[in-house]
This record gives sequence, C-alpha cells and structure tokens, in this order.
Amino acid sequence: MDSSTASSSHPQLQPDFDYLFKLLLIGDSGVGKSSLLLRFTADSFEDLSPTIGVDFKVKMVNIAGKKLKLAVWDTAGQERFRTLTSSYYRGAQGIIMVYDVTRRDTFTNLSDIWAKEIDLYSTNQDCIKMLVGNKVDKESERAVTKKEGIDFAREYGCLFLECSAKTKVNVEQCFEELVLKILDTPSLLADASSGAKKNIFKQKAPEADAAASGCC
Amino acid sequence: MGTSPYLPPPPPPPPPLRLPPTDPTRQTGKLPRDPTSSPASPREGIADAAMASTSSKHAKHRRIGEDDDEEEAEEELGRFDDFTIASSWERFISEIEAICRQWLADGPKILMQKGAETVPSYENLYIVKRELKHGKRVYCMEYNFRKSAKGKYSYWDDDIHSTELSFGVDEFLIISPLSASGVILDDPESTKLLSSVAIALSNCGSNWPAFVPVHDPSRKAYIGIQNMGTVFTRRFEADRIGSQVPIRLMHLEGLHELFLSKFVLSSTDFPAKVKVNFSMKLTYRTPEHDYDLEETLDSEATEPIPESEVASQPRKQWDDDCPWSEWYSAEDPVKGFELTTIWGGKTFEESFEMAEVENASSFDADSWLLQPVVSPYMVDDSIGKFVGFASQLHLLVNAFESSAEAQFLEDFVADNSGQDNSKSSVAVPPPTVIDRVMKDLFNDEVGNSNYVEAENKYGRALKGAPSDSLFAQFCLHALWFGNCNIRAIAVLWIDFVREIRWCWEESERLPRMKTTSSIDLSACVIHQKLQMLAICIERKKSLNREKDTGDVHKERSSNSMAPNKIRKGSAGVVPSMMLINTFQEMHAPYTQDAPLMTEDMHEERLQAAEAFGNAVGLSGQLERDILSSDMSAFKAANPDSAFEDFIRWHSPGDWVGEDKSDGSPAWPPKGKLSQRMSEHGNMWRKIWNDAPALPVCEQKSLLDSIREGEKVVHYLETLRPQQLLEQMVCTAFKSSADILNRTTYGGFKLMKTKMDQLYATMASTLKSLQGKSGTSDLAGDLKRLCQVFEHIEKLLIFAASVHRKLADAPRLAQSIFTDYFNYYLPKMGTSLESICYEKEFTTKEKVGMLEREAVSSLFRPPTANQSWRKVLSMGNLLNGHEPIQREIVFSVLEKLSNGHYSSQTPLCTDEQIETHRMYISGTSNDLWVALSVTSWD
Ligand SMILES: Nc1nc2c(ncn2[C@@H]2O[C@H](COP(=O)(O)OP(=O)(O)OP(=O)(O)O)[C@@H](O)[C@H]2O)c(=O)[nH]1
Ligand SMILES: [Mg+2]
Repeated sequence: MDSSTASSSHPQLQPDFDYLFKLLLIGDSGVGKSSLLLRFTADSFEDLSPTIGVDFKVKMVNIAGKKLKLAVWDTAGQERFRTLTSSYYRGAQGIIMVYDVTRRDTFTNLSDIWAKEIDLYSTNQDCIKMLVGNKVDKESERAVTKKEGIDFAREYGCLFLECSAKTKVNVEQCFEELVLKILDTPSLLADASSGAKKNIFKQKAPEADAAASGCC
Repeated sequence: MGTSPYLPPPPPPPPPLRLPPTDPTRQTGKLPRDPTSSPASPREGIADAAMASTSSKHAKHRRIGEDDDEEEAEEELGRFDDFTIASSWERFISEIEAICRQWLADGPKILMQKGAETVPSYENLYIVKRELKHGKRVYCMEYNFRKSAKGKYSYWDDDIHSTELSFGVDEFLIISPLSASGVILDDPESTKLLSSVAIALSNCGSNWPAFVPVHDPSRKAYIGIQNMGTVFTRRFEADRIGSQVPIRLMHLEGLHELFLSKFVLSSTDFPAKVKVNFSMKLTYRTPEHDYDLEETLDSEATEPIPESEVASQPRKQWDDDCPWSEWYSAEDPVKGFELTTIWGGKTFEESFEMAEVENASSFDADSWLLQPVVSPYMVDDSIGKFVGFASQLHLLVNAFESSAEAQFLEDFVADNSGQDNSKSSVAVPPPTVIDRVMKDLFNDEVGNSNYVEAENKYGRALKGAPSDSLFAQFCLHALWFGNCNIRAIAVLWIDFVREIRWCWEESERLPRMKTTSSIDLSACVIHQKLQMLAICIERKKSLNREKDTGDVHKERSSNSMAPNKIRKGSAGVVPSMMLINTFQEMHAPYTQDAPLMTEDMHEERLQAAEAFGNAVGLSGQLERDILSSDMSAFKAANPDSAFEDFIRWHSPGDWVGEDKSDGSPAWPPKGKLSQRMSEHGNMWRKIWNDAPALPVCEQKSLLDSIREGEKVVHYLETLRPQQLLEQMVCTAFKSSADILNRTTYGGFKLMKTKMDQLYATMASTLKSLQGKSGTSDLAGDLKRLCQVFEHIEKLLIFAASVHRKLADAPRLAQSIFTDYFNYYLPKMGTSLESICYEKEFTTKEKVGMLEREAVSSLFRPPTANQSWRKVLSMGNLLNGHEPIQREIVFSVLEKLSNGHYSSQTPLCTDEQIETHRMYISGTSNDLWVALSVTSWD
C-alpha cells in the first residue's frame, strides 16, 4: 500500500480522490484499537489513554489504481460508552472487529456483543466486516488459536487476519484487504463516490420474475 | 321442420329441430353386421350427399351458390388454365382439395412453423384457417390438430376440445360460413357443403373427419362425416333441445334407452342385450354463500331482532376475522368451487341399471376434481378496481409527491379558501371522523402497546415505526382517512400533534408506546422521537412525585456534619473488593443512565466529531460527562477511595494485578494501573481529579427531560411536510405488509416466498427514501412498489380464502393455490402496465379420497328456503345439490373379425372399433346430443 498523506483534520481540503471510505474499529477496551490506528496512520507505537468517546484519522492511499481517502474511526471499547458509540457506526463501509489474542474474553465478546452491535447500528446493509486478532507478538500468552478466529470469520462472513500493532505485522495488509473488498462491492461504491444517484429498480429488482408482455 | 331422429317429439311449441321426419337410423345407424340392408337412403342428408356422384352436381350446386347467373359470370372470369373443370362447384371442391393437400403435406410441425394459432385455452391444440369463396358466399375452413398425437383416448381430460369430446375424434376440419357474414346454413345447404368437403378429402385420401354447422350457432347443430379407410365411414350429427326436455330424458335410464334406440331396432336385428360402455362427468357448483341469509338464520335461532336494529347491524363479511378487516373488507376472491366427479368405464346391459348409478353416492365416483371459481377482480388491474392497502398506499404516494409543494403542513390546510372542498383532491372528512380517529389513537384502553417487532428479517431494514405503535397506527388511519390526500393528512397530523402536546403538558402517558429505556434507531425518526417523549414524560412524572416528597430528602442531607465523609448513593458492596488506601469494602454507586439519543442527535454528534476532528476536548464531551458522573458517584459511595479503586471497578482491564488464586480479599490489593492508565497526562486521572463527590440524586441529570421533551414536541410541530410524508410512506408500507403477514393462509410456501420478496422489495425501494434524493424518480419506484404490493395483497387474500374454505384439506388447498399462483405469475412483473388475460383459470386439482369429506362439506345442504327455488330432476345429488352440468358418453365397441370385413381393412384384426357413440351434455332442461355412427358401405 502506498500512502501519501496522513491528515487528521478538515477532510474537505482534499477533494482529490476517487472514493471516500469510512472504516470503523470496534472491540473490547484494551485490545489495541487505538494502537492499530496509530500504527496505520503514523507508523508509531506508544501507550495511549483509553479512548473516551471517539477519535478518527484520515489517510490517503492508492490501492488498485484508485485514489482513496480513508477515514478511520476509533471507538471506545469501554462498556459504559457502548450506547453512545452507536452514533459512529452510521455510514461505515468497513467495520474492523478487534480482539486480543491473549485475552479470551475479548474474543468471546465479539459474538456476544459486538456482532450484535453491528446488526443494530450499522446503516450499510452490505458493509464489509473484518475480524482482527491483535497482539500476536505475545505468542507465549496466546489464548485464542488462529483456527478459532478463522471459524468465527467463516460463521459471520467476515475477512480475517492476525496482526500486531507493536511489531507492525499485518497491520497494513489488514486495511488493504478490507479496502479491496469494499472496492469489489458496487453498492458500497455507490455510497462512497459523491453524487451517485441510485434507482434500485434499474439496478436490481428483487423480483426475479420477468415481466410478461402486456395486451389490451 | 320435423322431429329429431333420436329425440322424441317435443311438446308444443316445438323447438326448431333439424332433421327430416324419416328415421335415418335404419341406414345411418345400422350396424355393420347387417350388410344386406338397403343402401338407399330416404334422406337427403349426411352420407348420401357426401358420397354423391358428380352426375348430380349441377342440380346440387345451386343450393350452395345463390344465383346461377352469377355463377356463370364468375365462371367466365375463372381459371382458364384448367378446362376440364366444368362447374363452379367442381372448382370449389378442387379448391378445398388443394388446401387440404397442402395441409396434409405440411403436417403439424410445418403448419406450426407457418404460424398456426393455438386454440384459446387448449395448450396442445392448434388451428389453421383458410377462407374460400363459392359464388357470393365466403366460407371459412379450419383444420384443428394437435402438436403431438394424443396418447390414450380419455374423454374427460381437461384439454379436450368439445368437438373431440362430442364425437370421439382427434384432428378435424370444420367448414362454415364466415362468421361475420351472418349466413346460416339450412339442412340441404349444409349437406351439400359437407359433400364437397367429403369428396375433396376422399380425393386426397385423407381420413380427417369434417363437420358443417347447421342452423343458428346457439343450437350447436352439426353434421359430419369421416372416411375411415376403404371400408368404413363414420357419420356424425348433433343437435340440442334448449327447453322442455321430456321427463324421460332427464334421467340416465331414459338417456340409455335413447342410445339403445339408435341401433336396437328389433330383436332380430340385434341381440337383446348389448354391452353399453358408460362414462359420466358431473359438475357441481357450490351455491353462492349468502351471509345475510346465514345472519338471519342465526338470529332466528336466538331471538328476533327489532326492525330498527337490523338495519344498523353491520353486514357479516367473509373476512371479518382476517387481520385486514379492521381497515377494509375485501371481496371474496373465491366465489365458490366447481367440483367435477367422474364415473368411468362401466358397462351396462339393462336400462334399469342406470337408475342405480343415478342414486349412487357421489363418494362412489372414480375421481373428484376441484376448481375454484375466482372473482374476475383478481386479474383486473384497472385503477379503483381493487380497494385494499395497495390502493391506499398509492394515494399516499401521490400525497408524498405533492408534499414538496409547501414548507409547512398548515399551508395545505389553509391554502384552499377559494377551493371547493368537495373536490376529491382536497376533501377532508368531517370533524366527527377526526374525533373518532383521535379517540382510537389515544384510547387509554389500548394502554401499554403490545406491538411486537416483526420477525421478518427485512422488518428492520424498513425504516418505519413498529407495527401497532402510535405512529404506525396514525399512518394506517391516514391511509383510510378520506381519500388520503395531502390536505386530509395535514389536518389529521395537526390534530395528532395537538393531542401529543396535550399528553406532554399534562404528563399523560403516551398510548401505544412501549415503556422502554432505549431508543430504537432502526425505526423512523418520528417513532424515535415519540419514544424519547414517552421516556421524558415518565421522568417528568417521577420528578413531580419527588418534588412532593422532596423536603424529606433535604432535611436528611442538611443533618450530616461532614458531608464528604458520609457514604452516599451506594448500590451495595462489590464482592471481594477492598479499597486500596483504607481497609474498607468497595461500594458500587448508583449511576445515571447514559443519555438517550435519537437518530438525528447521533447524526449531530457524528458531524460534530467530523468537524472538530480530534481536537481534544471537543468530541466525546458526552462520554466525558458520563465518566465524570460515574466518578462523582463512586467518590460519594466510597468517601476514601482513590483513582486506582475507580479503575479497578470501572475498567478492570487496566488494573494489572497478581493472580488472584483464592477468593479471599487480600489487603492491600496487589497490582498496579496499566501502562496506558498511568501515563503522564492521562485523561481519566484528570477527570477524576476534577470530579466532586456527588451521589446521583444530587447530580445534574445527564438527560434534561424537560428540555428534551419540549424539543420533541417542537420537532413534531415544525416537521416539514415532505419529512412527514417520507416517514409515513415507509411506515404505512411496513405496517400494511405486517398486517397482511399476520394472515393465516396455511403457510403456503409460494405465498411465504412472495411475502418475503415483498419485504425485500420494500426495503430496497424505501431505502432511497432515506437517501434524501429528489422525489422525481422515486415516485415512479414507489408506484411500482404499490403495484407489486397489490399483486401480493390479492394473492394473499386469495390464499387466505382458499385456506379457510379448505382448512380440512390442507394439501388440496395448497395445490389449488399453487395452480392459481402459477396462472397469476406472469402478471407479477414490476412494470406499471397491466397484463390482461385472455386465458381463464381452469386448472382442476384432483381431490384425494381422504379429502372428499372436506370438499363435500363445501356443499352445504340447501336450506328449506333454497330448495324450493329449484325443481330437482336429475338425480346424482351431492348433499342435495344437483349438478350444473352432466356429460355422458355411451358407446358400443365391436370386435372386428375377418369374417365380417373386407381383407383390405386397414385396421388390425383384433382391434375393437367404436361403432356407436353418443355424447350427451347439459342439464335436465337443456340437452345437447352428439351421435357418431360407424358403418361400412
Ligand atoms: N504487546 C502488544 N501490546 C499492544 C499491541 N497493541 C496494543 N497493545 C497494548 O495494549 C494496550 C491497549 O491498547 P489500546 O490501543 O489503548 O486499546 P484500545 O482498544 O484502544 O482500548 P480502548 O480505547 O479502551 O477501547 C496498550 O497498553 C497497548 O500498548 C500489540 O500489538 N502488542
Ligand atoms: Mg482506544
């Protein structure tokens, strides 16, 4: 992935892009969402305060010959903020569910809580989901196997990767794969490129029956 | 005019009967075993004309043509390339012959390629036509044939053509005066015409049977002939008695005798006992269900209702207990049923045996076939034909289109001072109707709304209010309020909001709103707002209560000496947790509920976050407020607590402790804050330092219910017409579909699939309503959606009707529904144009043995009232109902043996040949008889 600029404010100042994608990071507190975002946008790793509310960063990338503007939203994993976090789901084309491979509860909470939150609050029916197991650098403390991650991803129909914000392993790939998948999904592109008018009857009618020719 | 050869003389006035007085059965009806009888016919009819030699042609052609002079004139202009043809009649015959040769040479396959048409409602039957001129007359000759040869002969197949059935033939020719010409053939003329065809067919060696109509078409009288190889000739005739059928012929016995009379002339001619094959098809139709009658009967049974009350009693409808009946009553699409019972191949020798058949139970019939009689409205798409949710939704979509015309709903109400209220586009029902609607909406009886979330997986994708909620109910009322024009809607909405304002001011619970502590973001904004208001009203009510008892609280708190050291707002001890600095148990505080937000508030937050970016301190203010509130409450509940204690309780993941192997609380607790929590400048610690110790009851509420409630009412009062209509459209579609979906229709699979498809179509169409795109292309989509809705609504009503009528025969019900569904399917495109049907729905479903009981119960025994209306005369009653049509085929088979027939016979020697066949169709008072007789010459 070839990143050009990393900017965090006034996204309106860069109108020079093909698509704007909104990506969302969710998952239990402490799994490393903010760290992943920091690694992806600033290529650094440092200890950050637990997120209160929300944070987002913008990064311009070139993928598959397209100029893309990614707005990555980092939410708070604290249970207390959960209902408020729902504000930020709207309009996301990609949602990354993060767990900590060394903490089993962060993994089980994905099916118990986070997947349901997506169903409830995501406004994009077709949005791409991705499962990410973070902190693989702490291999000795691993509590969730890779196979379990794969099985979960299969069941919920999402992409899957294991990575480490600390060692940088797979962090870029994770965002890249997600973006490629979004680029493959026409209904998401329609939302992402500005001013695309849509007429569902012209696009795809759920009615499969061909209209017979009339008479009279 | 004489009497029919096979029908006894009718009483005066005599119906017009075709055949001459002489009894032709002596010849045409003779059996092949009597080859010595005289071939001379006293009749000018049928066979003789057909076999006529050309010597008599001049005499005869005069009958077909009208005028000799004209014939001559035409002859001069005629074909001079063939001088051997002397007369116009000969030319006529050769013309027929040429056409027939062509058709014969082509065969079915090529004729179909050349554009043979299918005969309406017979899939396998095709027809080619040619016009012919003879003199001034124009005839039309048609050849009917099958795409593929019909297999084993079966009389009662659904797709058998009436001519085939009547005479026992397959393909056939009919020659008749062009229907537009209005010409009617009399006996001699039709005989002549038939002769021409017979000669032509014989010339080209064809075995096709040919028919010619006689007299006026309503009589359905025919004569016909078929050349069967070199030896046999089959002759046909048919005629009808349209009234005053002799009693004898009303019954099977008499009809059997009639058949016998066709060949049993004397005991010497024929063995006394003839084995007659008999097959019968009886069609019954359920009586029209008379709900009024039922009603009066029911009430008679209980007690007489005073005259005045009868009028005010609502008519009982078939769909009274269907979910939609709260809003409208649908015409029953299933008008009734037609039951066909078939009595197959029986053999009889004596006429009296027939009486037994007539008295036999219908349950003894070989097979039963059932067909619903479907109301024509099902396939009639013309606007206004069907009134249901679909038609009202259409009106709502129209209102949605005009909603962009004004900024405020009030504009629609005021803006017609000069206009005529009677104009339907602006008509508003009188205040009494509005009152009734408001009463229903705000009726306290309904109380706690019991709305259930739609189980349908698309339910959530539809951004409307949940079924049975306050706004959903409003939308349904609006659909049926007057003709749902924008002005009527505006009037209703303004009154609705006024009522809501009243509830808010008076702290009255909102009806039809679930008591909930969260806001359903998948619902439409108006519903979210009403949820918010309902919660605010609850809070307001409890605040008022607290105010009344508030003094007590104050006293208690002012008594305390050192407020900071006194534990306040504890919800209980946290098990096995000790504070870090003092040897005390940790108490969990009561905390405030997180503030509720409707969709637009979430959106505002999102936009704010986007605008401020991560300029620290601006986004996430709400979260900070909550954190601060929690910290204050924690401090109040644990006066000696430290930041570490709060973290251990609130975010245990950020307390890195040593393994707690035993459950006993160790003091002081071992461990430390996580790295990120102990960083310098940590936001959490900052907030902790600033948070005062305050129990929840002394804190400022995170949700200002007075302010938020007022905001909601203001939103409703200033809602843009278009925003209202958008949400009404979504909710009305969803609620209407939900109501239909509640119908019990036996879970027919195809219906269920269609219902799911409706939800999917609605979800995708209505999604663009929230896209805030222009309404121009959207209106078209919405109208198409109404069309789809109408199809499915009609089918669902049909399904419900079939289901309830055949509840005891679920398999049969489902099969009948499937048949109709497949018939209806081509209409269900998404195009706006209607698709009309030439084809009627005629599919019959076989009734299983175990289903017969359920089907027979469709035929309720007639009441005393009904039974005198009709004089029953046919027998074969089903629960006291006479068949509406009886069809019988009598036939006699003869085994062919070489002794009797010429050796050139093309027929196999051990084959049986149907020598006599009679088809009788009609009722006791309208009899149509067709006779086929095979003889050899
Ligand atoms: N070893 C290791 N530690 C990591 C990794 N990623 C994050 N961490 C650490 O995990 C802790 C939590 O990381 P955060 O990024 O703050 O977690 P978060 O998901 O944003 O948490 P909330 O904001 O509370 O929802 C921090 O101390 C990080 O240093 C990783 O890949 N490897
Ligand atoms: Mg974070």
